[in-house]
Amino acid sequence: MAKIQIHVNGLKHDTDCDPATPLAVFLREEMNLRGTKIGCGNGECGACTVAMSGRAVCSCLVPLGRTVGHHIETIESLGGPDDLHPIQRKLVERGAFQCGFCTPGVVMSLITLLRRNPKPTDTDIRVALQGNLCRCSGYVKLLETISEIVREGLHER
Amino acid sequence: MSAEFRVIGQPRPQLEGPAKVSGQAAYTHDITLPDMLYGAILRSPYPHARIRSVDLAKALTMPGVVAAVAGTDFPNLKYVNAGPVFADRHAMARDKVRFIGEEVAAVAAETLAEAQAALAVIAVDYVPLPAVFEVEAALGADAPEIHEKPDLPRNVAQQSVSDFGDVEQAFADADHVFDATFEHGIVAPVCLETNGVLARYDTENDDLTLWAPTQAPFFVRKEIAHVLDLPLEKVHIRSVVIGGGFGGKSQAPEPIAIAAMLAIKAGRPVKILLDRQAEFLSGKTDHAKKMRVRSAVAADGTLLGRHTEFWVDNGAYTHMGPAYISAVRQRTCNLYRVGAAGFDGKLVHTNKVSGGSYRGMGSPQIIWAIETQIDEIAERLGKDKLEYRIAIANRSGDRTPQGWEIGTCALAECLEEAGRRIGWAEKKHAMPPNRGIGFASMINPSVGVLYAEGNFACVSIDLLEDGGLRVGTQSADCGTSQNTVMGQFVAEELGLDTDVIDVLHMDTDETPPDLGSAASRVTFVSGNAAIKTAKTFRAELVNRLARHWEVPAAEINFADGIASYKDDNARRLTLAEIAVLEGPFRVEDRYDIDLPRPDPKTGYGHYAATYGFGAQAVEVEIDPATGHVTVHKVVVVQDIGRVINPLALEGQMQGGIVQGIGMALREELIFDQGAPVNASLISYKAPRIMDTPRIETVFIETNDPAGPYGAKAGGEHSINPTPAAIANAVAQATGERFRKLPITAADILQATKDKAPLDLKPWKRPYNLEVATARALYPAVLFPGLRKLGAAVGRKPKPKSDYHYVRPRDLSDALRELAMPDRKTKVMAGGTDLQVGLRQGVYDAGMVVDIASLDELRGIEITEDKITIGGAMTIAEIVEREDIRAMHPMLSEGFAKIATAQIRNVATIAGDLSQEKRCWFFRSGAQCYKAGGVSCPCYAVLGDNRHHSILGAGRCAAPCVADAAPILTALEATIIVAGPTGERRIAMRDFYVWSGETTVAPTEIIRAAEIPRESCFNTQYFAKSAGWDGDFADASVAVKLGWNGSRLATANIALGAVSPLPMRARQAENFLLASDLSEVAIRIAASKSVEGALPLSSNAHKTNLLVNLTERAIRRCIAQ
Ligand code: FES
Ligand code: FES
Repeated sequence: MAKIQIHVNGLKHDTDCDPATPLAVFLREEMNLRGTKIGCGNGECGACTVAMSGRAVCSCLVPLGRTVGHHIETIESLGGPDDLHPIQRKLVERGAFQCGFCTPGVVMSLITLLRRNPKPTDTDIRVALQGNLCRCSGYVKLLETISEIVREGLHER
Repeated sequence: MSAEFRVIGQPRPQLEGPAKVSGQAAYTHDITLPDMLYGAILRSPYPHARIRSVDLAKALTMPGVVAAVAGTDFPNLKYVNAGPVFADRHAMARDKVRFIGEEVAAVAAETLAEAQAALAVIAVDYVPLPAVFEVEAALGADAPEIHEKPDLPRNVAQQSVSDFGDVEQAFADADHVFDATFEHGIVAPVCLETNGVLARYDTENDDLTLWAPTQAPFFVRKEIAHVLDLPLEKVHIRSVVIGGGFGGKSQAPEPIAIAAMLAIKAGRPVKILLDRQAEFLSGKTDHAKKMRVRSAVAADGTLLGRHTEFWVDNGAYTHMGPAYISAVRQRTCNLYRVGAAGFDGKLVHTNKVSGGSYRGMGSPQIIWAIETQIDEIAERLGKDKLEYRIAIANRSGDRTPQGWEIGTCALAECLEEAGRRIGWAEKKHAMPPNRGIGFASMINPSVGVLYAEGNFACVSIDLLEDGGLRVGTQSADCGTSQNTVMGQFVAEELGLDTDVIDVLHMDTDETPPDLGSAASRVTFVSGNAAIKTAKTFRAELVNRLARHWEVPAAEINFADGIASYKDDNARRLTLAEIAVLEGPFRVEDRYDIDLPRPDPKTGYGHYAATYGFGAQAVEVEIDPATGHVTVHKVVVVQDIGRVINPLALEGQMQGGIVQGIGMALREELIFDQGAPVNASLISYKAPRIMDTPRIETVFIETNDPAGPYGAKAGGEHSINPTPAAIANAVAQATGERFRKLPITAADILQATKDKAPLDLKPWKRPYNLEVATARALYPAVLFPGLRKLGAAVGRKPKPKSDYHYVRPRDLSDALRELAMPDRKTKVMAGGTDLQVGLRQGVYDAGMVVDIASLDELRGIEITEDKITIGGAMTIAEIVEREDIRAMHPMLSEGFAKIATAQIRNVATIAGDLSQEKRCWFFRSGAQCYKAGGVSCPCYAVLGDNRHHSILGAGRCAAPCVADAAPILTALEATIIVAGPTGERRIAMRDFYVWSGETTVAPTEIIRAAEIPRESCFNTQYFAKSAGWDGDFADASVAVKLGWNGSRLATANIALGAVSPLPMRARQAENFLLASDLSEVAIRIAASKSVEGALPLSSNAHKTNLLVNLTERAIRRCIAQ
């Protein structure tokens, strides 16, 4: 099978994986990037959200072959536990999530939103996150924290 | 926050936060072991059947397969679950299956795909048995017997009758008796992380090690050791991060023992992860219940007595049903001051997935029933509904009929505060139309002694080598921050900051026993244990230093992490130095709730160390056109004793309330012949971020003497009164009482629609007479007949097979691929439907041609007279185009209502038009007309058809839910299709045929959509109503009106999601054109949109919905 070159978090990798493999599965199983979660595998929960050429997509519905020519960014492209991105730090400080299973996906939706629209309204924020199901938090602290992030311009640092 | 404390009362972020937010936290899904195999489970397709045999021989020869097991490979032992008398479930089905989805066999293989492939060749010989799905039917004399339980009536798993006080007398003395029956459907916990397990069996010393997300390692360990007949000490549970619990992970999920047995057989570690569908199919749900509540009320409003009859749908096996009986009885007997209380509960088996437990354990539903009645009592007696509640609120010093002795209690204050914050006094006489306010209360034991093991908790504290402390608790943190709270207790007690404290949860080797996180018990029981252990730790530390320093222990001071003796500089050590001096050490201690157990037979007795209370006030608004409820504001006021960590507690409140909104208004797992038909996160409608209201949380600190630092329990408190408060608010807004949960938009619309029925004029459509006749024959003749015929000669469900993926260079390359004969090739544009459909078996393809990036299909071209949008343009790209918005606002605004942001970034205009039908019978694998062909029936005729077509349905009732379809129809677009012989143009009106198939041939590709630009002034609006923002439409209308000055020149009205094809509402258009555009004329025109409708049994509301949306869209167009 022909090799595919995939571009993840700034690095290029050659793989001979089946191009029909969902990107989420590839990231987790082949690249061991397990921050991308799978909550449904059907595009319904957003836990697997990554950025593809700057747009938030459900990586469970992107076949690997489609990623050629695109840059994929996953949660691992941001900070690790000891050097969190200011947005991530704020989300922790404000208790914006609970079990955290939805969180990497939420962060990726949020980052892509703020890059394209640095001053989103409450509706913009809700629209950008409508595909991210969170069962724990009720989204209340998440919404409050995002407003604070926007107000403080944390994403512009 | 109190100044007297160091860390108690402070908002501490959760310990695991940084790992979670950076994607580094290790959930069970993320853990792998060298040499690990993947397990897959074969599930019963029958709701009730005898198993004659399970033949694993062929599976064992399949590539990659290492082990396979069936029921008889396990010891003949049953899970204990709710107690030995209830035990009725083996580790895997043995001689009988009792629900669709029950585990029948399992395979472990090198890859998941190999394991799944092997399942397909396991031969199970079933003898189907009659099945029963509803409680009432299951209690019938001729109902099939699901279990042989000789001491109980047929299909009854438990009966519980108790009267506290003289209930009969209370009803005899009553001036008013209120009597109503309430029902609610099945909800599911829906943890974002599905269940899973990694099991390793060490053959050398027979140790079984498990990584699994469970709320209760203590329980799981006991259950697994029991059903596998292993010594308890040979079963080890390790710590993992858990992706949500809510009761859904409080028992031993079946995959654990199955993975363990596979690991034993294979001699290698085995991992099993449930996918979302399997989670819905086999993960335990909440129980469906029916409740008849009667209240005996004196003329002054005093509640003389309350009696509840309660039927719980236990499902196939007994897990937490008995605990539901107990929890519901508690609310019946203790909520508000009531003189006497009676309870008659039955736990009844049906052939559905077993009930498990879900947040609140039935309390939200029984509170809803009781609180509905409280509202009705207040109404009948002419009392203010808030003041009445305050008058009858439980108070400190009360003894309830069940014998609960109420200690600290601020329920009346909670109600008052809730009323103030929702603005009841100001609003009650000036409620705008369609708005309502509702109240409800709760009572929760803190903590109940449901199980013998529930009355104690142990905690360990280790001094680590580096001077840090590690608190060990076997209770599992599912995301609630309980680990953080445990650290706070220890820090406070030892005078430390939390940053030197780490918490290890779950690990059964490293931490001492504790029942686990369930029933809101952790803060209270485990918290008290943490404090006690911290005291023991301090004593141990001081005693050790006293020996070293040869000074009296009592004179050693330990504060801020430093131990010292008077001002002696030589006798002064930090924790790190103590660790060096003494070496690491550990203490463990235990807290017992010191209470007599309630009478095991009647349940009478003082039940908990203390009781928590709370009230909620909710303001809602109804959209009268669609029935949708918007929850504007929720005020939650809780008597929580003491707030330990406001961040965590507020989060618990908010999360519970939003789950309560789902329970009240939307969530329901819908079954058809025992199988859930909406087992997906689109059609099981859990609340999304759009649904989140403003929530105000207020805590009244009563500083309970029994609680740790005065705290009471809290995990379930928020959800318990939410459905009740919402329902009462909806009742005020609509003037209608609903006695079934969820109260859906459809229910509201149906109840509140104009009393004058719509004139559907069904004769206006050809074939309606035939269709109506056929439907009448469905129950007795056609459905059973076609089902038989279809099974014999219909197309079989498509096997889920692998497919080749190709990415063509250009359009002609793609067309060449499609033209290859003898190959099943599908075109993939965005692929958001195709890939899912291939998995569901609704598409069949050996090859998939990905056209998403083809230049010829990309781009938007705008000329003088038209807009041409490439077929592979994504919905997001179209929505973002300002120039398109200026020309055709409906295109941008309407497309923005398609699916979710992530999907719009990938899904394309061509794909939206071509997606398969969303009928849940078809999507869940029914061999229906659409799947199996003409010899098969339509399942919607007799099944749950709330989403199906009302217009123009014949053999298939699935509606066309592509939003692009009505929009492009109203805009009179033309679809340009490229094929082997060149291009052809299809007008939208010819694009779909018969039951909604497109006229695009398998060898063709949608190249573009061409939309004419308007020369004259026009206004447009797309109105859509869906279950949640991002869901598929229940009905939609696209309206474009062309104007000649102020005169209406053209009218295009296209209907979506109400018929198999998008259709123009010609009668409505013509009427409007000829009318004076008055209010009345608009309404009449709108009502013509349903002419010729022939609704099914439970979708009549869609006729009103369609008319209302049409009216709304026309008005918006006129207003512009
Ligand atoms: S896992 Fe991709 S959307 Fe749920
Ligand atoms: S924090 Fe658990 S799902 Fe969002």
